[in-house]
This record gives sequence, C-alpha cells and structure tokens, in this order.
Amino acid sequence: MSEQLPKPKVAMHWLVAIGVIFLFVSSWWMLSLPLPSEDFTYRQLPFQMHKNVGITIMVMVVAMVALRIVKKRKQLQIKKSRLERLASLDHLLTYFLIIACCISGYLSSSFSGWETTLWWLVDLPAWSEENDDLNIFFSDIHLWTCWALLAVVAVHIGAALYHAFKNDDVIDKMFRL
Amino acid sequence: MLFGVLLLASHSNELLKQIVIAPGSIAELGVPADCRADELEEEGLSLLECELMVSNVQIILASSPEWFRPLMFLLSVSGILFAALSISVGFSFVNNKSVNLNWAKSCFVALIVIDLGIFILATNTGPLLRAQYLWSTLLWFFVHLFLLFAVVSISSKDTEGGV
Repeated sequence: MSEQLPKPKVAMHWLVAIGVIFLFVSSWWMLSLPLPSEDFTYRQLPFQMHKNVGITIMVMVVAMVALRIVKKRKQLQIKKSRLERLASLDHLLTYFLIIACCISGYLSSSFSGWETTLWWLVDLPAWSEENDDLNIFFSDIHLWTCWALLAVVAVHIGAALYHAFKNDDVIDKMFRL
Repeated sequence: MLFGVLLLASHSNELLKQIVIAPGSIAELGVPADCRADELEEEGLSLLECELMVSNVQIILASSPEWFRPLMFLLSVSGILFAALSISVGFSFVNNKSVNLNWAKSCFVALIVIDLGIFILATNTGPLLRAQYLWSTLLWFFVHLFLLFAVVSISSKDTEGGV
C-alpha cells in the first residue's frame, strides 16, 4: 500500500482540476461574446468569474507548492527512477504554468484598465494606468502559457491513466479522502 | 472522476451562458457592435468578426423559444449537482467506503435523464441551437450510459458473489 497523501492536498488537487477545466471552457466561449462597451456588457460576468476562479486557483497552487517544499525538506534524498523524475518535472511544470497563466492573466486585465474585485469582495490593485502594449504583451503570455498548460495537463492525465490501468498504488493516492 | 470534472465545468459554463445571454438584452435591440480599432488589434479580430460576435448572441436569442432558457437553467443546475455527486461516487469507489451501488446507479440515471432533457430541448429548437448542443449532448449521453452499465455490472457481480 502506498503512503497516504494528506486529505487537504488531495482535495486541493481536485478543486484545482475542476477550476482549470472550468477556466479553459469559459475562455473559449466568453471570447466569442461581443466586445465590451457601455452598451455591450455580456463579457462582464464571465470575465469576472474567470478572474475569481483563476486567482483562487493560484492561491491554492501556491499553498500546494509550499506544502511540497516543506515535505521535500523533511524527506531523505531518495534516488528516483527516470519515470519518477519525469513525473516530478510534469508536476513542477504544471505548478509553474498555472501560476504563470494566472499572473499573466491578472496583469493583462490590470493593464487593460478593467478593475478586479475578487469574488465581488476584495478590490485588487491595478498596477498602472491603462497600457495597450503591456496589455497585449501579457495577454500573449497568458495565451501561450495556457496552451502549454493544456498540453502538460494532457500528459498528466495520460500518466494518471497509465497508472490506473497498471492498477498500481500511485493513482490510488490521489483518490483517497 | 475525470468525466465528472469535465462535466462539472461544462454545466457550470452552460449556466453562466444562460445567465449572461438574456432575452431583452442589448443585442436584441439592434444596437450596432462597438468595434474600436484598438480593441480589434488587442483581440486580433477583423471588423467583420467583431460585428458577427453580436450576431452570434442574436442567433442564440432568436433561436431560443421562451421555454428554452428556464429549462436549460434548471438542467444546468441539476447537471452541476449530479456531476459533483458523480465525483463523490468516484471517490467512494476508490476508497471502498462501502459503496452504495444504488446511490451510484441513481446518480448516473439522473445524469442520463439530464442529457436526454437537453437533447429533447435542443431538438425542439431550430437548426442553429441544435448544431450547438446535440453532438456534445449525445457524447455525454453515451459516457453516462457506459458508466451506468459499468455500475450495473459490478452490482450484479456483487449479488452473484453474495449468493
């Protein structure tokens, strides 16, 4: 039997998974809504929800990374197989890309002149006045990090299915609440 | 579990779409699209695409009969609840916490009923909405049918084993 993961970590993993998939699906349809203006406000709610979920996910991922670092310090240096090293790389890339997507999305929004009020409660600071060049720059980073994240998530799910069909203990850890 | 996560995201987005694209909103009033050059550059859009985005909303509104939105709203909320329940069913299976198979069966039957509901609703609208909904609903229907029969099969094996 494999070592059991802490329940908050398992719960956070699945909440982040739901959030990430929600963000991908929402981004695909909300960008087909009419461009915003005084009259056309169709994008307001979906964009606000997109930002709410994105920022919440980022906080959770930062917590997961912190937990991972703390755990790593406690562990003795164990020699890993090539597959285990690849899995670690996939995890690190996933964490990095989620954080990069969220920060670039927030900065792009910030430079577009739109305010961000997290869950309609907390006003987040805008980093500067409206700046189209920086908005486009961060928007491009947001786009490409998100596509990269989708590719890494596909690899992650593929690896999970590999373990599931192998019926080893690895996959079980992520389901034990 | 994976399907549950995808379904939850899918239904919550559908709910958001139903909230945002409301009858009587600005697209129905014939107000021309606001397509400023700087926005077009930012979004990488042509002027025609920008104008068609309003048409896109008009298509949805014009193709939705009065009953469509409230019923889709109801089915999306139910879909969110049962998708969340199906994730918890998935967790129970792995944890072997004395899985209540009747509970699992009811959950998948409910998801099939929701898929059928969306399918019937979309079928009774025009071709524009049918094109948007029917294919993905059919895929989900077969995914849920597959999962239901997997549970039924496990359940019958358990019964045979118990006899």
